Amino acid sequence: MAKIILEGVSKVFKDKPSPAVDDLNLEVEDGEFLVMVGPSGCGKTTTLRMIAGFEVPTAGVVRIGGKPMNNIWPKDRNLAMVFQNYALFPHMTIAKNLAFGMKARGEPRATIAREIENVAGMLGIESLLGRKPGELSGGERQRVALGRALLRRPEAFLLDEPLSNLDAALRAQMRLELKRIHAQFPVTTVYVTHDQVEAMTMADRIALMSHGRLQQTASPEYIYDHPANAFVASFIGSPKINFFQGALVRDGGGPRVTFLDCSLELTGTAGEAVERLPHPNVTVGFRPEEIRLAPASGGRLPTVKCVVELVEPLGPETILVVRAGEETLVCKVPARSGLTAGDVVTLEFDTSQAKLFDPESGSRLN
Amino acid sequence: MRSLRPKQEEDRDLAPLADGGLGAGVAQAAQRSPVAISRAQIRRPDRRDRKQRAIANSILVLLGIGFLTPMIWLIDAAFSTHASSALSAPSLTFANFGKTISEGAGGAIGNSLYLGIVSTVIATVVSILAGYALSRHRVPLKAFFLLSVLFLSALPFQLLLIPIYEIYVHLGWLNSPFYTSVALAANSVPFAIWLLKNFIDQVPREFEEAAAIEGAGSVRILWKVVVPLAMPGILVASILTFINAWGAFLLPLVIDTNPADTPAAIGIYSNILADAQIQYGPLAAYAILFSIPVIVLYLVCTRWLHGGFAFAGGVKG
Repeated sequence: MAKIILEGVSKVFKDKPSPAVDDLNLEVEDGEFLVMVGPSGCGKTTTLRMIAGFEVPTAGVVRIGGKPMNNIWPKDRNLAMVFQNYALFPHMTIAKNLAFGMKARGEPRATIAREIENVAGMLGIESLLGRKPGELSGGERQRVALGRALLRRPEAFLLDEPLSNLDAALRAQMRLELKRIHAQFPVTTVYVTHDQVEAMTMADRIALMSHGRLQQTASPEYIYDHPANAFVASFIGSPKINFFQGALVRDGGGPRVTFLDCSLELTGTAGEAVERLPHPNVTVGFRPEEIRLAPASGGRLPTVKCVVELVEPLGPETILVVRAGEETLVCKVPARSGLTAGDVVTLEFDTSQAKLFDPESGSRLN
Repeated sequence: MRSLRPKQEEDRDLAPLADGGLGAGVAQAAQRSPVAISRAQIRRPDRRDRKQRAIANSILVLLGIGFLTPMIWLIDAAFSTHASSALSAPSLTFANFGKTISEGAGGAIGNSLYLGIVSTVIATVVSILAGYALSRHRVPLKAFFLLSVLFLSALPFQLLLIPIYEIYVHLGWLNSPFYTSVALAANSVPFAIWLLKNFIDQVPREFEEAAAIEGAGSVRILWKVVVPLAMPGILVASILTFINAWGAFLLPLVIDTNPADTPAAIGIYSNILADAQIQYGPLAAYAILFSIPVIVLYLVCTRWLHGGFAFAGGVKG
């Protein structure tokens, strides 16, 4: 097991003008489960491939266990990788697929047989050993690919969107299983996905990338509550965060931001940051659960009257898509609230949770 | 009632057409208009089809007879005591085979097998290595090299006959079955490289990456992963090389004049020339013996090739 360190790593592909990965600095702690997440083309897979050794960084150093890896072949890095498409050798039986790496590393036959039996038992794939990958279902192939990676006894696991070819139910099940396996073998893991749900549910820490740049690295809860910028805020969380165009108002009292028909007092550092902007525009973000049905008696929070456009009952709660003037917003309300499309509702904004962003740079202001 | 009967029968076979087999009662109602029309529409092109098919089939049969007659003659002559250029009732004797083998066909076929196998092994190994390198590695002037390889494989081999002879004289490689095989392999290598390069291009790289990260070196990756996955292409390349070497005539004739090394292709030719009158029986037997290895090879390999080129289960899409 080892720590993985990326120091100023960049990758520029010859046929692309902008770098696939741009000056990436990242440390993956020993035994940590790090999820790299981002939209497609953000450079997360390229980063993983640089750790694996399939791509050579244009600049920077990849260190595994303290040793620089730039001139080390993939085969000598002692890593295990699970590929998006599993990459099981189609001409070999499952047993041979599992044995392939150990044979290549010259381990004795008895050890190979014993280890395969162990891992197959753990993953529940004993009955598949005599079959070929083509005869297996997606979930079974996924298990075999995991088994092959486990047998490597690697310094670190690299997983490249391993669940993206599975159906939703199986994906949820494999998420749990992967976490269980990681708890059992706490090996440093870098897990690449474009699915923020996978990132939130599995990660010890999330590294969020966009356009080749690392946007934020933090625990799932921290990144959800304290997004570093508007991109992170909109990428993490489902349904997505609501953004409103706000304007800075100075009228006697403290600085305020107005959005929709609401007004938001700015206190402390937020006020200073907003006042330092060269323009009066502010983006105000509220997550769906931070916009609620206002109590009938009226509260102290700013409210807005909206027309319900869409009702999505999820069971434990209901998602409302509503229209407030020009803007559409999404909020979560208690289940069985009896609302239907066309109803007029009054919503209140939990201003203590408001996230303010500079609309030009996207950076966080409070 | 009786007069209605044929109509009902008609209804019955129309029913499945009309409404997916709901029953004769429904069909009877439907029979009057839409079904009757659709039936006529279905029938007419059918007749035209049959006519076209009949013409096509007769042409094919004629062509087939053209191809088949020499083969029938060959088998007939090989097993006849008094074979001539005409077809005759076969008398089922193996005397022709005995005669042709005793006159050296066995040795010549052995020589051909040697040339075929050795040159196939050389050409296949060389073209796998070259094809893999050209498919996967950055090679300077790759496009130029590949185009010249393709161009060279299209040149008639006879052009090179004299230079090869000169080279072989200098190297002292004349009259050696092994070096004759080398020349035959060289003849096949350009096309085989081209073929295998394209086949290996189709093998997803992920398999090699998976093998590499598992700790396999490049030689193991090549032989355990790439070669099995490119096997259909490798088989095609080796069959073509083998058949080419097996039927080689001019090259062995020029660079190996040792009578003991005579391959079967030349053997048949000298057999024709040997006597004042052509010995059709032994000649036909010789020809059959000559074609057996190619037929066997073909049959064995079609079983393999039927498996096709599938990476199912390894990677998707």
